[in-house]
Amino acid sequence: MINQPNNHDLLMEARQVLLNSLTPELTGARKYEALMIANVMSMAIRELGQSEQAKVEEADHAVSTFLEARSKPNPNVEGEVSLAEAIRKRRLDGREPALRDVLRTLTEARLGINNPSYLKR
Amino acid sequence: MPELAEVFSQFVVHQSGARSAKVIAFNKLSGGAIQDNFGLSLEIEGGMQSGLQEFVVRQDAPSGIAESLSRPEEFRVLEAAFEAGVTVPKPLWLCEDLDVSGQLFYVMTRASGSASPRQLVKSDLTAEQRCIIVRRLGAELATLHTVRPPMRSLDFLTLPDQGDAALSRVATYRRHLQEIAEPHPVLEWALNWLEDNTPEPGPTVLCHCDFRTGNYMMAGEKLTAILDWEFATWSDPAEDLGWFCSRSWRFGANEREAGGVGEKRDFLDGYREAGGTDIDSAAVSYWEVMALMRWAIIALQQARRHISGEQRSLELALTGRMVAQMEFDLLTQIQELEDGQ
Repeated sequence: MINQPNNHDLLMEARQVLLNSLTPELTGARKYEALMIANVMSMAIRELGQSEQAKVEEADHAVSTFLEARSKPNPNVEGEVSLAEAIRKRRLDGREPALRDVLRTLTEARLGINNPSYLKR
Repeated sequence: MPELAEVFSQFVVHQSGARSAKVIAFNKLSGGAIQDNFGLSLEIEGGMQSGLQEFVVRQDAPSGIAESLSRPEEFRVLEAAFEAGVTVPKPLWLCEDLDVSGQLFYVMTRASGSASPRQLVKSDLTAEQRCIIVRRLGAELATLHTVRPPMRSLDFLTLPDQGDAALSRVATYRRHLQEIAEPHPVLEWALNWLEDNTPEPGPTVLCHCDFRTGNYMMAGEKLTAILDWEFATWSDPAEDLGWFCSRSWRFGANEREAGGVGEKRDFLDGYREAGGTDIDSAAVSYWEVMALMRWAIIALQQARRHISGEQRSLELALTGRMVAQMEFDLLTQIQELEDGQ
């Protein structure tokens, strides 16, 4: 079904109205709430964006590839659940560079949506 | 609110032996999800506090969290810190009678200045002024850490298992993490690192456990009070030093490792010169990693309160999305420590 303008466009426009028209009229706790809402909208916009979505898929793929190369420590659970469990049960070597690369890829994909400016620190 | 002001005013009259008191000002102060803080200005006639007096009333909020101290416990910790010579508001009177205001509360003196972290971090201070401030903060912790168990008045505080605060913390955070439904491989990995790299335990002392920029009051360059004692417990002195220096509490001034205000070296020098334990800076770095872990666990618990429906809140929801920042910092900081930076 074609339903234009799309969600990404709607959210972008709504955020601009919030920041440019409404927030300047507010003070104190109300202003803080408006800025939190703008922040949430930014995350949703990025989450809908194709490039961030590609990074999330890339991170999920990196986890699967990493686990498959190690014979899936627990074949009954998938992805991050399996990875977390394998680390907790010390089935993986925490010093292994490939493990750290996967952890960093996952974290950067999440930050790319939640707070990309943090990656530049 | 006017009724509550009168309730507190009458309590002060009774406790101070005054003839009467007139409420000059009463307002709810910002901060504190666990408790409500009220500013109370009274014109008192007679008794031990005669004249214009400024107080803070700290009262339980309806939604507390399990890990924090009750108001009576916090009052006793504040008394211990005050008696040791730490710069804190003077604790005056505790009210354990729920018939008075409906909640437990205590009254303390009101310190001047501001606790705003951004105001302090962004202020136009010289390097020398910054040095003086962080040395003073280090010295305050050294004074606090002279309070050691056993102390009958603080017998409600828990001791670290087998005298090892680091391993006790790891066990606690591991338990909390397992209570969270979604997986967090970075936190699991960092917990293993913390377990495998514990420094030699320090002595067991009274720790503030939330000693950071934002929890102390400054009037210009002068420290006027250390606040928010609800997480105090017996622990390793390096826990307080590491929490203060953690990346999470620099408010954007990442290059100033001591609370976003000054140099870590000056902070630790201030601590040592005021008689603090001679702590290896590597132990402080270790506890900075622990601080990131603790904040990540707290953030997950806060998000859980929102997700579970216990307390729907945009702020709590957003706190959950901050966990990736702590995970990023954990990966970065552990790597830097291993690389010897």
